[in-house]
Amino acid sequence: MGTNEPFVIYPARRVITINPAFPFGDAVAVAGDRILGVGSTDELASWGEHRIDDCFAEHVIMPGFIEAHCHVMSGGLWNSTYVGFFDRRDPQGLLWPGCTSIDDVLERLAKAAADMTDDSQTLLAWGLDPIYFPGERLVASHLDTVTGDRPTLILHASGHLATINSALMDRCGIDETATSPGVARGADGLPNGELHEPAGMMLAGEAFADMMKANRTEQSRWRYASEARNAGHTLLTDLGTTQLWDPDQLSNWKKVTSDPAYPARVMVAMSNLFGGTADPAELAELCVQLKSEQTDKLRFGIVKLILDGSIQGFTARISWPHYYKPPPGHIGNGMWLTAPDQMADLVDPYHRAGLTVHCHCNGDEATEAFVEAVEQVLERCPRWDHRHTVQHCQLTTPDQYRRMAALGMCANIFSNHIYYWGDQHRDVTVGPERAARMDACATALASGVSFSIHSDSPITPLGHLQTAWCAVNRVTASGQVLGPDERIGVPDALRAITIEAARQIKMDGEIGSIEAGKLADFAVLEDDPLAVDPMALRDIGVWGTVLGGVPQPAQISDS
Amino acid sequence: MSTPRLPVTVVGGYLGAGKTTLVNHVLRSSDERIAVIVNDFGEISIDEDLIVAADSDKLTLANGCICCTLADGFAAALMQIRSAGTLPQRLLIEASGVADPTQIAAYGHTPGLRLDAVVVMADAEQVRRQADDRWVADTVRMQLAAADLLVVNKIDLLDDARKADDLCDWLAGLSAGATVVRASRAAVPIDVLLGPRSARDTASARERPAPEGAAAPGWHAVEDLFESQTVVLKAPIGMPVIEALLANLPDAVVRLKGLVQAVPPASESDANARETADATAYLIEAVGKRTSMTPHATDPTQPPPRWAISLISHKGALPPNWLQARLRPDR
Ligand SMILES: [Zn+2]
Ligand SMILES: [Zn+2]
Repeated sequence: MGTNEPFVIYPARRVITINPAFPFGDAVAVAGDRILGVGSTDELASWGEHRIDDCFAEHVIMPGFIEAHCHVMSGGLWNSTYVGFFDRRDPQGLLWPGCTSIDDVLERLAKAAADMTDDSQTLLAWGLDPIYFPGERLVASHLDTVTGDRPTLILHASGHLATINSALMDRCGIDETATSPGVARGADGLPNGELHEPAGMMLAGEAFADMMKANRTEQSRWRYASEARNAGHTLLTDLGTTQLWDPDQLSNWKKVTSDPAYPARVMVAMSNLFGGTADPAELAELCVQLKSEQTDKLRFGIVKLILDGSIQGFTARISWPHYYKPPPGHIGNGMWLTAPDQMADLVDPYHRAGLTVHCHCNGDEATEAFVEAVEQVLERCPRWDHRHTVQHCQLTTPDQYRRMAALGMCANIFSNHIYYWGDQHRDVTVGPERAARMDACATALASGVSFSIHSDSPITPLGHLQTAWCAVNRVTASGQVLGPDERIGVPDALRAITIEAARQIKMDGEIGSIEAGKLADFAVLEDDPLAVDPMALRDIGVWGTVLGGVPQPAQISDS
Repeated sequence: MSTPRLPVTVVGGYLGAGKTTLVNHVLRSSDERIAVIVNDFGEISIDEDLIVAADSDKLTLANGCICCTLADGFAAALMQIRSAGTLPQRLLIEASGVADPTQIAAYGHTPGLRLDAVVVMADAEQVRRQADDRWVADTVRMQLAAADLLVVNKIDLLDDARKADDLCDWLAGLSAGATVVRASRAAVPIDVLLGPRSARDTASARERPAPEGAAAPGWHAVEDLFESQTVVLKAPIGMPVIEALLANLPDAVVRLKGLVQAVPPASESDANARETADATAYLIEAVGKRTSMTPHATDPTQPPPRWAISLISHKGALPPNWLQARLRPDR
C-alpha cells in the first residue's frame, strides 16, 4: 500500500459501488483521501494496520453524487427570501415549505419584513412561479398590504420577470408615464409592479443589481457547496455563471476551495456569455491555462455554450410544429441566443484545444444545430473521446440520439422538468405526444448515449435522489405519469447521477464509482435506493457525504 | 429638469449584415459624442484607431466616450458611461446578430433616455436566403419587421439595378413601414442615421442663438441619394398643424426632426394669441413608421433654443418648399 498511515474501514449496511465488475460490498476502506478497497471487512483488514469506524454501519454508501449542471447562483439566492411553490431546504438545512397560494407568499413576506431591522433595506425574495396560481395575479397592491413603505422585489422562478411593490416603484420613478414595454399594466392601465425581461427589471435599479451581486460573494460559494453536501453531492459543476476572466472571481474560487472544510469539489465551466473577451481562441487558451492550475477540489476543462432559451419561457427552438399553445402574439417558435450557423466556428477552437464543449439545447432544433456543429468540427479536426455534451437535451429526438452516439457525444438530461413543469408541457408548451417523449432517458440508454440527469439548480432544487426519482417515475406535480415508456430503472438512474456524470466532465477515472484508487467521495444514505419502492427514492434520508476521506455530516435543522 | 433625454439608436440585423461596420462608420463620421453599448455576448469590435484606451470590458473612444458590453446588464453599462466624465450626446446599442431589436429597443424607455430609432441592417446578397433559412428565417423576418430605418447594405454586390429595386420593394413589404435606404460598406449619411443635423443641433442642450432672419427654408444635398430641407420657426405653431404633418408624411421622407413650440387649437386662429407663454415645447420626430412628440424641457438659464424642423428625403422626391408649405396650411 502506498501510505504508511493506518487506514480506516467503514463497515456499512451495503456499499453500492456502481462498478459492474464488483457491484456491492460490506465495507469500504479509506486511506488518506483515496479508496483503498471495497469488499468484506475481513478482506479489507488484510491490507494491514487499520482502524474500524462503525459510524456508517447502519447506512448505505454510494459514490458521491455528481451534479454536472447547476449554478453557483443557487448559493447566492438564499440571501433573499424563498417564496417558491415547492418545498425547498436551504443550505443551513432549514426546510422552507412551498408557498402554494398568494396568501402564503404574502405571509412569508410579512414575516421576512418583520424580521428586518434596518428600515431602509430592500426586501428581496425569489422563486415565485405564477404558473401555479391560475386566475389571480400577484401584483404590487398585494405586496403593499404586507410590506408597507419597505421597497420589495420578488424575482420570479423563470428569472425573466420581477414583481415589485409601490414603495419600490416610487423610488425608481415607475409611474403611469412609463413608456417601457417591460412595465406591465393592470386593467386600470396603471403599472401593476410586474417588470418583464432585463429591460424592464433593470428599472428596479439597485434592488435588482443587489440580488445579482450576492451571487459573487464567498458566502454564496459556501452555501452552494453546503446545499450540495446536504443532498449527498460531492461534486458540482458550475456550468458557466462565473466570470472566469475576472481575476477576483477566480481567486475567490481558489480561496474557498482550498479551505479543507469546503464541502464539495467544483468544476467551473468557462463561458463566453458573461463579458470579457468573446474570442473563442483566447478563451480556449485561458481554459487550458486554468486546467494546468487545477487542484483536487477546483477543476476546469469544460466550456459552456448556449443556443436557445427555455421551453416554459417559450424561447426554446423547437422544430415544426413548434409550440403547441403559445401565448397570444408569440411568433410560434423560440429564439436563438447564438446564431446556429456560427456554431461550428465557435466550437472549433475549444475542440482543437482538447476541451469538452457543453451546449445548452432545450429544443430539438437547438440540439440539431449543435450536433451538426460537432459533425463539422470533427470533419475539420478528427478527435477521439471529446465527450461534447448536449445540455438539457429536453426534446432531442431518437435520430439525434443515434447521431450523438455515433459521434461520441454525451447527454445531460433535465429530468426534473417532468415533475416541475411536466403538466404544463403536456397541456401548453409542446402537447401530449412530445411531452411524453421529452427528457428521453430510455431512448438515450437504448441508443448507447452516455447520459447524466440534472437539476440546473437554482432553476429546480439540487438533489440527485429527487432527480433520479423523476427519471425513474416520470410523475408530474399533479401526480400523472408522463411518457411511461421513457422511464428508466433505478440502477440506470444511479449510474446517471454518479459515473456517467463523472464521464461527461472527464473525471470518471477519479470519481463516480467506489473502486480501489479512486478519490474517497461518498454519499451516505439512510436507506438503500435499490431496495426501496422506486416512488420512495426521493424520500431516502441523506446522512451527508464523505469528501476525500473526510466525513461531512449534512446540516438538517427543523427549527 | 433641464437635461434633455439622451437619444438611443439601436442597430440590429442578422450576423454579417454590417452592424459593426455601421457603428464604426457612425463613430468616425459623427460630430456627436457617442457612447456605444454592445450586446454581442461580450464582443466589442470597434476599429482600433477609434480606441484611445482599453480597460477590461470597456473601451475609451476617440470622441471621449466609452464602449462597454451588456454583460453585467444595461444598468451597469449605463453607470459606466455616466461615470466616464463627459456625458455622451447619444447612446448607440449594437444588438447581437440573433437578437430581437424590439427587445433591445425597450432599453430606450429607461428614464433619462429616449428611443430615437431602430436601424436594422440587411445584407443585400444574403438576406433573401436568410429570410428562408431553415433555422433563422423567423429570426431574420422578426428583425426586419422591427426596423424604423432599414439599411440594405452591400448593395454594390448586386449586379443590376432591377435586382436592387426588387429587393428593396420586397424588404419594404417585410418591414411594414420602415424607411428603406441603400448603402455600400454601411456608408449611410450620418444625418439619415441620426436625424437631420440642424434639428440635432436644436435638440442639444447647449444652443447657439438662432441666426438672424433665418425663416427661409434651408436647402442642401445630403450626399448623392438624399436631400434635406429646414424651416426655422419664428413663432409657435398650432398643434393640429404638427399632428397633421406627422400623420401624413409621404414615403419619400426618410427622417424628420424638430424642436417646436406648439399652441392648442383654441388659440390657433388668433394670431395674437401665439404667445410663447401659451406654447409648449416639443421635440418632434419621424423615422420610418415611428413618429413621436415628446415634451421638451428648456433650461431658463440658457439662451432659448432654435425652433426649427428639418427633414431628409429621397433626392428629387419632394419640392424644395414642401415642408414650408405644410407648416402654412392656411395659405
Ligand atoms: Zn441552460
Ligand atoms: Zn443551467
